[in-house]
Amino acid sequence: MSRVLVAMSGGVDSSVAAALLAEAGHEVVGVTMKTFCYSETPGHGKTCCGLDGITDARRVADALGIAHYVFDVEEDFTRDVIDDFVDEYARGRTPNPCVRCNSNTKFRDLLVRGRALGCDRIATGHYVRVAHAPEGSTLMRGLDPSKDQSYFLWGLPADLLPRLLFPVGELTKAEVRTRARELALVTADKPESQEICFVPSGDYRDLLRRRLETVHPALEPGHLVLADGTVVGEHEGFAGFTVGQRKRIGGGFAEPMFVLEIRPDGREVVIGPREQLFRDRVVIEELNWLGPAPGPGRKVRAQLRYRAPAAVGEVRLLASGRSDGPDRLEVVLDEPQAAITPGQSAVLFDGDVVLGGGRIASAGLSASTR
Amino acid sequence: MDPIYLDHAATTPLREEVLAAMQPWQSDAFGNASSLHRWGRAAHAALEGARAEVAAALGARPAEIFFVRGGTESDNLALIGSTRAKAASGRPVLVISSVEHSAVRDAAAHLSAVGAADVRVAEVSADGALDLEALAAMIEGREATVSVMWVNNETGLTLPVAAVAHLARAHGATFHTDAAQAVGKVPVDLRDVPADLLTATGHKINGPKGTGVLFVREGTHVPPLLFGGGQERGLRPGTEDVSGAVGFATALGLAVREREANAARLTRLRDVLEAALVARVPGLRVNCAGGPRSPHVTSVGIPDTDGAALLMALDLEGVAASGGSACHSGAARTSHVITALYGADDATATVRFSLGLGTTEADVLRAAETTGVVVERMRATP
Repeated sequence: MSRVLVAMSGGVDSSVAAALLAEAGHEVVGVTMKTFCYSETPGHGKTCCGLDGITDARRVADALGIAHYVFDVEEDFTRDVIDDFVDEYARGRTPNPCVRCNSNTKFRDLLVRGRALGCDRIATGHYVRVAHAPEGSTLMRGLDPSKDQSYFLWGLPADLLPRLLFPVGELTKAEVRTRARELALVTADKPESQEICFVPSGDYRDLLRRRLETVHPALEPGHLVLADGTVVGEHEGFAGFTVGQRKRIGGGFAEPMFVLEIRPDGREVVIGPREQLFRDRVVIEELNWLGPAPGPGRKVRAQLRYRAPAAVGEVRLLASGRSDGPDRLEVVLDEPQAAITPGQSAVLFDGDVVLGGGRIASAGLSASTR
Repeated sequence: MDPIYLDHAATTPLREEVLAAMQPWQSDAFGNASSLHRWGRAAHAALEGARAEVAAALGARPAEIFFVRGGTESDNLALIGSTRAKAASGRPVLVISSVEHSAVRDAAAHLSAVGAADVRVAEVSADGALDLEALAAMIEGREATVSVMWVNNETGLTLPVAAVAHLARAHGATFHTDAAQAVGKVPVDLRDVPADLLTATGHKINGPKGTGVLFVREGTHVPPLLFGGGQERGLRPGTEDVSGAVGFATALGLAVREREANAARLTRLRDVLEAALVARVPGLRVNCAGGPRSPHVTSVGIPDTDGAALLMALDLEGVAASGGSACHSGAARTSHVITALYGADDATATVRFSLGLGTTEADVLRAAETTGVVVERMRATP
């Protein structure tokens, strides 16, 4: 049997993934990635780098009788993920750092270091399924739709896919917990992690304040405006808003108001009633394909945010100078969707198969639909 | 194949003789050495016997030996104590070498941070040289403590402690040396080297963890860090660890008695290891090769190699070594010592192999071959 590297976050999913592979007879090497040194975060004293995750992963590894190491990826992670996170907010967009990490840092780093350790395959606890065949590998949604994490993996470099294993994607959430309890893993009843790994407090604006210049437009007060430009209120910094948001808008309006758009140049946050949130054209950039790219006119299912159902649409390619395919495309949705957010991921599916995706650049409304 | 242990500089296996000597003091003879009854008197006798044995092994007097709970505690007591003892006439100077163990470095950093000492760093070069004139200038006309380790744990480099001790003495400064890696490897005799304070620890010499001593030369004053029952003449109160003291003394006695023969054995093995590594790994550099070194440590630099991954890969192939220094999370960082000697270079992997009890020629040859195989595998990765 082969030697497999399992990325263990300290959570129950990756714990069970490691256990399943060990049971199947692979030589499993557990690894936890240290992405960030929390000791520099105010208020965290000596608590370090998600130390709880590292210690939990180590305990599970010990219980399974497998080796466990810590990979320091702080430098790559800061450059690929944290810097991007800050830049996106500064530009009035809403970033998706977990996607950035998966697309740029995590899998590539794991594979390179894994090879150094004699591991030719990498496994994680992601809730997805992968099918390997001589012609190529296919990524699919996880079996349990309530837990499916395929939304976060559209950016995986296609050449790495044949090397990846996702053992828990075939199980339901309940089955994973049951398995963990059967194995008496310490993480069996650990609650799901909800926060961004490098924002332990949950308040990302504190991180932005520390990373951006003291006076940055994204953190400065500005106007709340209607779509026609009428000023209707004030806000404390557009970095605190995302499309579709209701909070921090204040009251005094005839009907519930939502963030429609962020205009960074004027430091404006555009708000409007719910019906103005709907768009049917999505421009997607920074494309990545896990198989052949969909051609123009192809019908796809587009998932535009995590835990949202995919919407049917048609692919239109946009002109580009690249010879290896378009670097932007547009999806024209059959039905307008609410709160399409620039910076978030657009993941394109054919049924349950992940074709690939990209970063949402903008959302528009067809003239005929207005 | 059984895994092989080549990390004796990190810690060492407990010798059978040591375990046997400690046994009674952990079972029937459990008395508190301060008690007046027969249990206490027996424990007290064992403690004092251990003290005398340690003193004899180091060339000191029993009254100059204080049992503490490890090397870090000993280093802290020495630096913080000596600094506080000199505080009366203003902020004293504390000079440490550029390659000290973190216990010395961090104690010095603490003293600096709280404004208790003027901390200076004496640079050491890769061939073990230390600028004595510069050192003299640092302490001239000031109340000062100087701390220079005897053998550097990361590279095996032996530092000129005798010269530094004499220089400190001539300037009225207090000299401390962390001898944790020196005891049992190179001659350590306090009759020959006029150190005022010396640190030794049990678990580096096949003794128990959690044991150690601070040597305080008669005439040198060090105030305590802990307060309590007055044991160890008030320098380290707390109910004495008699079995630990007996274990430490036994280990130290054996280490010193066997030092010469052991040094010859380890030197030969180290030379075999280094020759094999140089032959097997293109571009490999033996750190501090040109300097005076203890017989048990080989530190190497391998260019364009991820050091952390290399150590993990070696572990997976059954070779235990170390490199750099680990932060609490377990992730490895480039060592400040290697950086001080060779400049910062995160692209070069540092690996330390350290030999000891039970190391065989087959072990070192296998370590060299495994290193070669792993480095080849890493270099072949696209």
